Amino acid sequence: MGLFDQPLKEIRSYIDDKRGQGLARDYPFTPVLPYTDSPQIILSEDTGLELGNPGLASRSLLLWDSSGSIEDGRITLVGPDFSEAATSSLPFAQVIIAEGEFRDEYDCYRDLRDATYGLRLRGFMTRVFPGRQSIWCRVNKEALDSGFSAQILGSSLIQSLKELDFVNGAEVLFVTSSKEEVEELAAPADKVMDIVEALIKMYEEMNFDCEECEYVDVCDEVVELRQIRDRLQAEKDEKGPTDSEKGGGRA
Amino acid sequence: MSRVIAVCGKGGVGKTTVTALLSRLLADGDNGRVLVVDADPAIGLGLALSQFPDRSVNDVRKEIISTVKQHSTDSVDLAASVDYKLMEIIMETGQLGFLSVGRPEEEGCYCQLNTLLREAIETLSSHFDLTLIDAEAGVEQVNRRVMRSVSHLLLVSDTALKGIRVAETIRDVADEAVKYRKLGLLINRARSEEDFHSLAAKTDLPILGWIPEDDTVREFDIDARSFLEIPSCPALDAVRSYVMESDFLK
Repeated sequence: MGLFDQPLKEIRSYIDDKRGQGLARDYPFTPVLPYTDSPQIILSEDTGLELGNPGLASRSLLLWDSSGSIEDGRITLVGPDFSEAATSSLPFAQVIIAEGEFRDEYDCYRDLRDATYGLRLRGFMTRVFPGRQSIWCRVNKEALDSGFSAQILGSSLIQSLKELDFVNGAEVLFVTSSKEEVEELAAPADKVMDIVEALIKMYEEMNFDCEECEYVDVCDEVVELRQIRDRLQAEKDEKGPTDSEKGGGRA
Repeated sequence: MSRVIAVCGKGGVGKTTVTALLSRLLADGDNGRVLVVDADPAIGLGLALSQFPDRSVNDVRKEIISTVKQHSTDSVDLAASVDYKLMEIIMETGQLGFLSVGRPEEEGCYCQLNTLLREAIETLSSHFDLTLIDAEAGVEQVNRRVMRSVSHLLLVSDTALKGIRVAETIRDVADEAVKYRKLGLLINRARSEEDFHSLAAKTDLPILGWIPEDDTVREFDIDARSFLEIPSCPALDAVRSYVMESDFLK
């Protein structure tokens, strides 16, 4: 069992459905140019294509799995590729699925997140708003004219993830077709957000009082989260209470 | 290295007008990307430049506090959210970005978020070739190290001696609190060269020059027209000559 079994199943079903309708294209991983540290602000005037503008539909999901279910290096695109866009702004969803050995889930999550948030590509700006699962990107005119594509972006994300020693493979889905097709991912996206927030709360607060916790339903549904909670609880019990829990202060 | 110019001075001496004139010159020339920050709670710069953002940095602060209350989050997600929201509220005109800081913060201690916001604005600023800040009147922002990354302090005074003394105080506070590289004083609304020289003799501040009273500026003010469209006039020419083309910005 994995943390994201249920949302992963829904995402697979989404991809299969789009593929069945002939709406999805697959691209293989291609080695990409080195990353850059160049300024990551692209102004409207210099923008060739905007993806997931705050006024349009946008979703960003990051999941991980150890079951061997992913197709390493596969980049799936639903909708026009960046150079094919009929308008200068498209709705956007980005779904990243990493595979590997995730011993400490929170540490791994943070590393996976850094590898994707911190991606620096020439001519490409990205901003994410985790509380809304939104992603907003701009591709500058020069990069777009030079062929910056979903395959390049997807490959860069996969390459960045695979630089982590615990990641064996990664797969990426992009949706640029319509608000409706982005929003079809809302259900798995909400589940991913609930699971990640429950995970963050467990590790950040180390409070395992389920009666007081707003994520109790999430843990009830996801076996893996309960196992993580039990393990953290056991580790905490082993260490004994902290000074603040003892109610002690300085002598 | 990107330059950060803070326009400071006593209230009412014309800081916002000077910042607006500078914005006009910076937007017009080949100056790369320019970020203009209205850090004065009076938020007059937006009016002078006809930039009316729906939200300010302070609104972003409130929105993020609300998000944090609803969602479990950690510092990395918090920082990402700040970056996203700041990008969302920048108003863009060509190569010029405009950011309004908004009115003072509400009650409550959100030190981590305030620090994140300040750092995010500094990072944002570093992605522009030049940042121009219309600062709050007086010394408070300089004293609180709000503008610790300022490279150029442009002090503005009118012809009243009180304005000069406030500018001197700002210089003294900045010497302790800000690692600026250059500092200069502009005398605003001088009526004549004699007027200017008589004032210049009363301070040890390095004086860049003087801006004459100007009917075009007054008309633009009265009609609330955008200073980004102000034509060549004596005040604009003075700012070009004493700030843009002088050693101050080099």
